[in-house]
Amino acid sequence: MFKYSYDALVYAGEPIEKSIRRVAKYGYDAIELVGEPDQHDTAEVRRLCKSEGIAVSSICSIFFGAERDLVAMDKTMRHKGISYAKSVVDFAAEVGAPTINLAPSPVGKTTPVGSKEAEWANALESLNEIATYAQKSGIRTCLEPWNRYETYFINRLDQAVALADAVGHVNLGVMGDSFHMNIEDEAIAENYRAAGNKLFHVHFADSQRAAPGKGHIDFRPIVQALIDIDYKGYIAFELLPAAADPFATLKSGGGTEFLDEYTALAIKTIKAIEAEVRK
Amino acid sequence: MSIPEFGASTFIWVSPFSNGTLDLIDKVAGMGFDFIEICIEDPASIDTKRIVERLRSANIRALVCGAFGPDRDVSSDDPAIREGGKRYIGQCVDIAATLGAPMVAGPMYSATGKVALVSPEKRRQQWAWASENLREAADYAASKGIRLAIEPLNRFETDLVNTVEQGVDLVSRIGRDNVGLLLDTFHMNIEEHSVPDALRRAGKHVFHFHACANDRGIPGRDHLPWAEIKLALADIGYGGPWVIEAFNPEIREIARAVSLWRPLADNQDDIGRVGLAFLKTVVGKQTI
Repeated sequence: MFKYSYDALVYAGEPIEKSIRRVAKYGYDAIELVGEPDQHDTAEVRRLCKSEGIAVSSICSIFFGAERDLVAMDKTMRHKGISYAKSVVDFAAEVGAPTINLAPSPVGKTTPVGSKEAEWANALESLNEIATYAQKSGIRTCLEPWNRYETYFINRLDQAVALADAVGHVNLGVMGDSFHMNIEDEAIAENYRAAGNKLFHVHFADSQRAAPGKGHIDFRPIVQALIDIDYKGYIAFELLPAAADPFATLKSGGGTEFLDEYTALAIKTIKAIEAEVRK
Repeated sequence: MSIPEFGASTFIWVSPFSNGTLDLIDKVAGMGFDFIEICIEDPASIDTKRIVERLRSANIRALVCGAFGPDRDVSSDDPAIREGGKRYIGQCVDIAATLGAPMVAGPMYSATGKVALVSPEKRRQQWAWASENLREAADYAASKGIRLAIEPLNRFETDLVNTVEQGVDLVSRIGRDNVGLLLDTFHMNIEEHSVPDALRRAGKHVFHFHACANDRGIPGRDHLPWAEIKLALADIGYGGPWVIEAFNPEIREIARAVSLWRPLADNQDDIGRVGLAFLKTVVGKQTI
């Protein structure tokens, strides 16, 4: 059976203790933590996870803003981005998370600064350095494509695979988020399948980014594809409210259904599908 | 039920449409479309007299779609911009009437790309402005025999009307018979629980339909449930055209909102030609 995780991203701002307890309560194997190392007391995270009997599946890096841009044309800025990624690797190592995600160019940056070739070359160099650094700690890194409204750099899973292949580092794979894939990919399940052993991590969300079961994505063929490629990673749910800036919605007190209701529903829906598919 | 007709948006190939791109009318007609949907980015570039001549000689009919940039926003805080929005819709109505197009379609309630979290009071105010100004625009359109088809857009392109439910709400607040919805499968795929169910819920309010792939590439090379979509449209008695809308990388007026960073087909012609062939097989099954 797959291992399941829930991304604390949507719990924005609540004490980590509450998040870890909630995820454990609904039967998850692990929690995915937000990639802000400064905002976490890693000893406390380890203690809480141990007492609740869950693991940390992964760290969801937050590539946002000019200082977290791995393709930046300015070398100093690019190095700031690389340093950030390394700090996430250290964070992952301290809480025992096996995987972190990487986005070459930050969310919301929708216009290239340099030429396509120059930015691509920067991506190869930055990603290689981070993947090498992470390998020493035994942390796997994976590229996440986002939909067209969040980035111009890589939008589809096969583009992420192409970038990972171009870097050619054994410690760099890809991850696929079904919400973004519903917008960008012609065939979601087939693209997961095509990623094969490069698929290090998975985010599930339904078509409108709510819990699976609330939208129209057919997760059966997707789960089948993951079984067929012998996927060993976690299925992590990254759910967010329907807005161009979901965090503003959360800060203003919206999206309360993403707490208990969707945490319970997401795992229930996919576990039922997994059981059916594996029968 | 009669076989649906098909249209192609000028946005697939050109931006903006002008006298320099009139040949597109022949091209779209030659591909076998019944309609060309002319997108009015710059009303000054639309030479209705010459367009009418070309439509006649190519034996194809026109549809009109608006492009709502930041100066054409009927729910803006700035009264001058609200007026600009109304004036622009009026210009589109005049153009539609001259071209013999039955309606003006588009996300006319706001500026495309305007996304922000605003207070509930401000949101209520925006809805009030949108309803009031579109009611005025609708009355002007009615005087010219033109209908308005309001298009919900996905969350990344607007914060005002994302779903069929919100669209129907706006239509009822406007309260005019000549106002309905333009529903587009690209946006519905992101926002609706189920595309066919949403079409059914919209029912008689569906004035116009955009048949787009989930990635806005070639219809059919996607994961949309076309057979069910076709049945839903038949159930609600939709008799209008199926229009393919896609964009080319030169798009100007609403470029950021469209966010096109990579080619979605080997060439733009495939979106029209291959897309039309596919959609014909979809509707063909319904009528045989």
